[in-house]
Amino acid sequence: MAITRLGPNQDITAAKIAGQINFKNLIINGDMSVAQRGTSFSSMSNGQFITDRFFYDRAGLGITAVFTGSQSTDVPSGTSFANSLKMDVTTAQTLGPSGGTYFGVTTKVEGYNYKLISNQVGTISFWVKSNLTGTYSIVFRNNGNDRVLVEEYTINSASTWEKKTITLPTFTTDGTWNYTNGMGVSIFFCLAVAGDNDTSTIGSWISSGVTSIYGSSNNVEFASSTSNEWFITGVQLEADTSASDFEFLPYDVNLLRCQRYYYAHEDNVARVGRQLSSTEGGYDLPFPTVMRTTPTFTYNSPSSDLVQVNGNNQSPTGYDSARSNFGTKSAYIAVDYSSNGAGNNVSCKIILSHSATSKKEFDAEL
Amino acid sequence: MINSAVYIYDEFGNKVYIDVTYSGEITRTVPINNENRHYQEILEWVENGGVIVDNGA
Repeated sequence: MAITRLGPNQDITAAKIAGQINFKNLIINGDMSVAQRGTSFSSMSNGQFITDRFFYDRAGLGITAVFTGSQSTDVPSGTSFANSLKMDVTTAQTLGPSGGTYFGVTTKVEGYNYKLISNQVGTISFWVKSNLTGTYSIVFRNNGNDRVLVEEYTINSASTWEKKTITLPTFTTDGTWNYTNGMGVSIFFCLAVAGDNDTSTIGSWISSGVTSIYGSSNNVEFASSTSNEWFITGVQLEADTSASDFEFLPYDVNLLRCQRYYYAHEDNVARVGRQLSSTEGGYDLPFPTVMRTTPTFTYNSPSSDLVQVNGNNQSPTGYDSARSNFGTKSAYIAVDYSSNGAGNNVSCKIILSHSATSKKEFDAEL
Repeated sequence: MINSAVYIYDEFGNKVYIDVTYSGEITRTVPINNENRHYQEILEWVENGGVIVDNGA
């Protein structure tokens, strides 16, 4: 990041601050560089996050298609991107006219951030690549699910990175929108949609039949062949009539922004705690940033951790959710183990395992 | 897919979490909070006939 130094009596002009980070991109992790959950997910179920903030989104009847989603290193040449999100069809399915079915990838913008573009014209830009050329669509949806906007883009050349830019109509204030810590707007990159869930109204906000609109009637049938792959990176949504260069953030800043929504603790660190009884000890675990809302807690493989009391090692058998506390800034976790003979208030040391399979997960995704 | 759900009370006797077991034997502690997506899933599961076990405080 270049820094322009201003002398005394010099005005700050647009030219002087051009290129400085100003968080203009409302999409978090648009460069797909953060993947806290893992880098490849086969046979994905609905809602599976692939890279942080981007998840596999599907619904409908009779779904047989199967996808693998992954963080890829296939990126547009000549750019600074290091990663993309890849969708790969592993079991094919053609949707046809009915079934209410759709497949795609969604990211959601929190209301506090969405507010920055509300009632303004926006532009979305991204790099995309697929062997399957043709028309694809993007669906913008509000919190109340009573306004939807469908836009189209075309992949012109097979297996070639192409940059797409779409200027959007003013984000309407009609309907029910969230401007705080709820979902401000969801952005669905449609890969396939059944005929009873599509629309031919492109480029303007729709207020009728919104709950059954998930793509354009021109959308390709991406799931029709196991040869099909789709890559995307550099997703940027900004309040402007044209797209500017993708705003790269330092990795730590990007990671921290992702951790507002999901935090996986997998550091090999020790926490000091205190026994609540001879079979239970509690410790504090602070979060790196304030989470969006009270998170869901998942304690994977507690027995991989270690509790030390009076010099004796014990493996936890689980945790006691009734004596644990989960806030937006930290968690207090009460772990269970077999009796060690020591009583209440005896200090204990809890050594947390460094392993992707034993991580503690805190999920406050939209 | 949710297999079972149990209300969890805190030390003040307040109903604060739901321990949810999913197929695959994953267990999550979900806060009773409308802004939490897993809680929203539980509400949907209840609408479709699921029952949250309440063992009291």
